[in-house]
Amino acid sequence: MADRDVTLECQVDLGRGLVLPNPIGVASGTFGYGFEAERMGTISGLGAIYTKGTTLLPRSGNHPPRIAETTAGMLNSIGLQNPGVAVVAGEYAKRWASWPVPVIVNVAGSDIPDYVAVCQRLTGIEGVAGLELNISCPNISHGLDFGTDPAQAGRLVEAVRGATDLPLLVKLTPNVTDITSVGRAVEAAGADGVTAVNTYVGMKIAVPQRAPVLPGLGTAGLSGPAIKPLALAAVAALRRALGIPIVGIGGIGSAEDALEFLVAGADAVQVGTANFYRPGIAAEVLEGCLQFAQANALSSWRDLRWRP
Amino acid sequence: MTASSQPSAADLVGESDLTLAVEEVATCLGVDSLGENLFEVLVLAPRIQSLAEPGQFAQLLVDEGPVPLLRRPFSFSRSDPRSGMVSFYLAAVGQGSRRLSRLRPGDQLRMLGPLGRGFSLPETRGTSVVVAGGLGAAPFPLLMTRLLQGDERVVFVNGARRALELYPEERLPRGLSSLVVRTEDGSRGQAGRVTDGLLDLMKGADRVYACGPNAMLSALVEIWEETGPGVERPRLEVSIEAPMGCGFGTCLGCAIPLRLPSGDPAEGPLGLCCRQGPVLDGRELDWPRLLLQPSHLG
Repeated sequence: MADRDVTLECQVDLGRGLVLPNPIGVASGTFGYGFEAERMGTISGLGAIYTKGTTLLPRSGNHPPRIAETTAGMLNSIGLQNPGVAVVAGEYAKRWASWPVPVIVNVAGSDIPDYVAVCQRLTGIEGVAGLELNISCPNISHGLDFGTDPAQAGRLVEAVRGATDLPLLVKLTPNVTDITSVGRAVEAAGADGVTAVNTYVGMKIAVPQRAPVLPGLGTAGLSGPAIKPLALAAVAALRRALGIPIVGIGGIGSAEDALEFLVAGADAVQVGTANFYRPGIAAEVLEGCLQFAQANALSSWRDLRWRP
Repeated sequence: MTASSQPSAADLVGESDLTLAVEEVATCLGVDSLGENLFEVLVLAPRIQSLAEPGQFAQLLVDEGPVPLLRRPFSFSRSDPRSGMVSFYLAAVGQGSRRLSRLRPGDQLRMLGPLGRGFSLPETRGTSVVVAGGLGAAPFPLLMTRLLQGDERVVFVNGARRALELYPEERLPRGLSSLVVRTEDGSRGQAGRVTDGLLDLMKGADRVYACGPNAMLSALVEIWEETGPGVERPRLEVSIEAPMGCGFGTCLGCAIPLRLPSGDPAEGPLGLCCRQGPVLDGRELDWPRLLLQPSHLG
């Protein structure tokens, strides 16, 4: 009953000392490094900021066009534009150190030494609360995709795990037959948690041009409300398969959406594409979740979890 | 693609001030039909109105639901400090603009703004030549109003493919020194492209402001190059378009190719239309590369 005297434990413990003040974070690639939001006054109240994918060297990204709109979604092929880890660790982290929100750096690379070097550079840096390994960026092709092969994914995570004591999340790609096999592999290799899911490979066609809207092979990462049911299914499957925390993501733009992911098995969530069209929405999502928690006398977000 | 060590886009040309952007629920005051499929959407948004500068834009959330998903960027067209009204001049060509053209008085929509970098206004009196290609007239009623308030001499070149696509003269601010009308099919004003005869007008100007299709702006920059060397060229500012997602620099969708400072032939960095633009100095852009990319969201 709602009138029972129950205090909600709002924090979320993702392991290895990474405690988020609340479960509502903002997703990699939709929030830069937080500085735009800092200027616009929309970082307070966030559970976590997951940064733009960061590589060893700076990357200028793909040639335009880079984005397209689809029904209830968007495609992006940015190509990991980022200033490189030296700038992130040397300049950006100093600014994060005074923020009230944990900043988790998303790390991307093309081979194991790349990932290891980036993660080492970020280790021991004040302002860096954790790492999220992007083993699944669909927009850069190196002929090797760690995220689609459990053995490769496991080797990568094992190497990174040996190089850093930072909390380590692994962001999984949904573009696989069985996401749980990759999830199990990274759990066994020492990941503290998984983020699920990254974008789905998609395409938009321009009939007059008889070609895709976006260049190259025409494929890009699909995000937004269109993928929410797919992402929920992936999170639920991972929950059955894994013991480590899951950060759910895919089309979250309201408290209702976030609660659905918590029910499906997520420990925390990320608001992604909605940051583009509703900047500041994460605070509203949290407020709605807190109201729900109070009305339903939750003592922890885990009370919501579906237990089939 | 790995970036070489080169100046950042922000270091090269500057960036917009996001601390001024606010979210406001605007109320539609009406939608005026101004030509074939052309509309002026008038909204009450006093906070954004009080901050909006010529050439800046707002991101309009067309629907609270997921279709269309992304906001649509439009330059402020007119702005009235007494009533708190701003307007947007648009063609109903896509999902978002068609919906906006059907707004009714009293309808509400979220607006984020002002965003982007606008036109610079002169510090001393002089002559401005303002060149509009079709819908490119959008930011100029506000710009010219401000210029005229500063006693600037303003020549407006209003061009379009045909008469029905011209920005209507009766909505222009009073006090223009000269109005040149050009249509490609000759259905109004002089027949020809908006860039025809511009060289002579530019030679006598202190400033040139232009907005229109990127191909038109590229041609205009070439004409501007002919105003020198040997004389002091007018300052040239252009408002460009790129497919835009967020409008405040996080989606990285609206990349635009910049040129390195004069004389350096190396490929310059990519900037963002929403942060470095939409208004830039005509020399700051790598026009051949810009023309290879689409100007609207696919």
